[in-house]
Amino acid sequence: MVKNFDLVIIGRGSAAFSAAIKASEITMHQAKIAMIGYGYLGGTCVNVGCVPSKYLIEAAKVAQNQRYPKYPGIKSIEPSIDFKKLMNSLREVVNNERENKYINVLKSYENIEVFDGKSSFISNDTVKIDSGEEMSGYNFIIATGSKTKIPDINGLRETGYLTSDTVWSLNYMPESLGIIGGGFAGLELGQAFQRLGSHVAIIKEHETIVKGIENELGNELIKALGEEGIQFLLKRKVKKVYKKGNKKIIETLHGNETEKIEVDEILMTSGRTPNIDNLGLEKAGIKYSEEGITVNDKLQTSNPLIYAAGDVVHRKYKLETLAAREGATIASNLYENGSKKINLQEIPISIFTEPQLASVGYTEKEYNEKFGKSMSRTIPLNFVPKARLLRENCGMFKIVIDEKTEKIVGVHVLSPYAAEFIIEGVNAIKNNLTYLDIINSTHIFPTVAEGIKLTAQSFYRNVSKMSCCME
Amino acid sequence: MKSSVMEKKVTLRIFGMTCNDCVKTVSEGLKNAGGEEVSLSLDDGMAILKIDDVKISPEDIAKIPVFGEKSRYKAQIRKVE
Repeated sequence: MVKNFDLVIIGRGSAAFSAAIKASEITMHQAKIAMIGYGYLGGTCVNVGCVPSKYLIEAAKVAQNQRYPKYPGIKSIEPSIDFKKLMNSLREVVNNERENKYINVLKSYENIEVFDGKSSFISNDTVKIDSGEEMSGYNFIIATGSKTKIPDINGLRETGYLTSDTVWSLNYMPESLGIIGGGFAGLELGQAFQRLGSHVAIIKEHETIVKGIENELGNELIKALGEEGIQFLLKRKVKKVYKKGNKKIIETLHGNETEKIEVDEILMTSGRTPNIDNLGLEKAGIKYSEEGITVNDKLQTSNPLIYAAGDVVHRKYKLETLAAREGATIASNLYENGSKKINLQEIPISIFTEPQLASVGYTEKEYNEKFGKSMSRTIPLNFVPKARLLRENCGMFKIVIDEKTEKIVGVHVLSPYAAEFIIEGVNAIKNNLTYLDIINSTHIFPTVAEGIKLTAQSFYRNVSKMSCCME
Repeated sequence: MKSSVMEKKVTLRIFGMTCNDCVKTVSEGLKNAGGEEVSLSLDDGMAILKIDDVKISPEDIAKIPVFGEKSRYKAQIRKVE
């Protein structure tokens, strides 16, 4: 027997929850919604993404501050780390977050019915779950997320590896860790493991650590992480991996030279790949590629009654923030007759390393390639008084503006707390502000966020010759 | 030659109705916007009506004030014949 719904959501992560809750709110809990999925409720973010990684990063920061206190007079001590206890607490936090913010939240929405299982379209308005149940919907949202992309490396499967999805079950600290692939997860986990006592090497085929970020910020971040002891092996193609006793060998090609590194564990962070397999997308007339499902600016797939949101969509970045926004936008478009679109240039990204990298809008190179000329200003972190008080000097601020209109088109920050205040850049771009609008808004002294104002001021004056809180 | 009347039958899924007063409010809203032969069910939230497409399009009937941003009622077009 086929069950009928107003909305069938395939997936149960950030995008799915955001869409289901927003749709429920708009329709006074009257839209009959099915949410179908497998694995832990909540998807990547709460289970294997943002939540556990930020917990580990913060724990590692405490260890680092014990080992290298920033202020004279405070004695350095080697932190005593019970890694298993730390990871148990991490898993407990994840369980609590999942229970409180996903499982319990659903209890408030009687109109949302959750089904366990893998599902596949059998026509353009019906899916079949592997349990045999069939669900028909007027609309569908595909929000099946992504998984770690595993490149075809000789010997990898036999040697064994961790991924950013499986690393959370570790109970011992690997003495050495070879991370294949940079990216958000590789850099964040790399720094956390290094600080907790592992010797980390990040191996990447390209010269840049994260695609699409400002190179000068990326290079500065490599420098900062390198100073903490992380070994960057860039422009290395991994040829093969194999076991040697208790160790794992990663053999790379650097130019014509073969290099080997010996590690205890291998962590794969070589990007994420959309979960599109076995969804029967063809039967519903949905176009896709191996990069993900193709959507228009209203997030409709090639079947206009079916939408897609989150990591399964073909996008430059796969972000929880974007997934949640996409889910809510679809709900609004479905039930409020909206034609809301998401301007990807207003979506910020962040790498939660220390210093943090946060960015929104175009890089200078992207803007010049797309629209012609831009202007930019970059200031080093040590121009910012609060950074000097924090005794932090690794970082920089960069603002890109349109040359004619002087409107801000990109804000890029590498600094402490960058993720906390990149919202100023988001608002500047969203509201078409110029650098003068930033200058004319009072910033609290002393904050790291003042760096944005100082960078804006640097478009017309030499900020190195200003008193420290000058407007 | 284009007809001066383009009658269309529109099926809407209405959300937000909880009582007969709601049905009355939504029905009146649809009629005031040019909807004719309005039939509305509280049980399944479905509305069927006829409109003159020259005067108001199916897309616009789903955006009339009774379904506006601050209204509790929302309409989704399900079928246009």
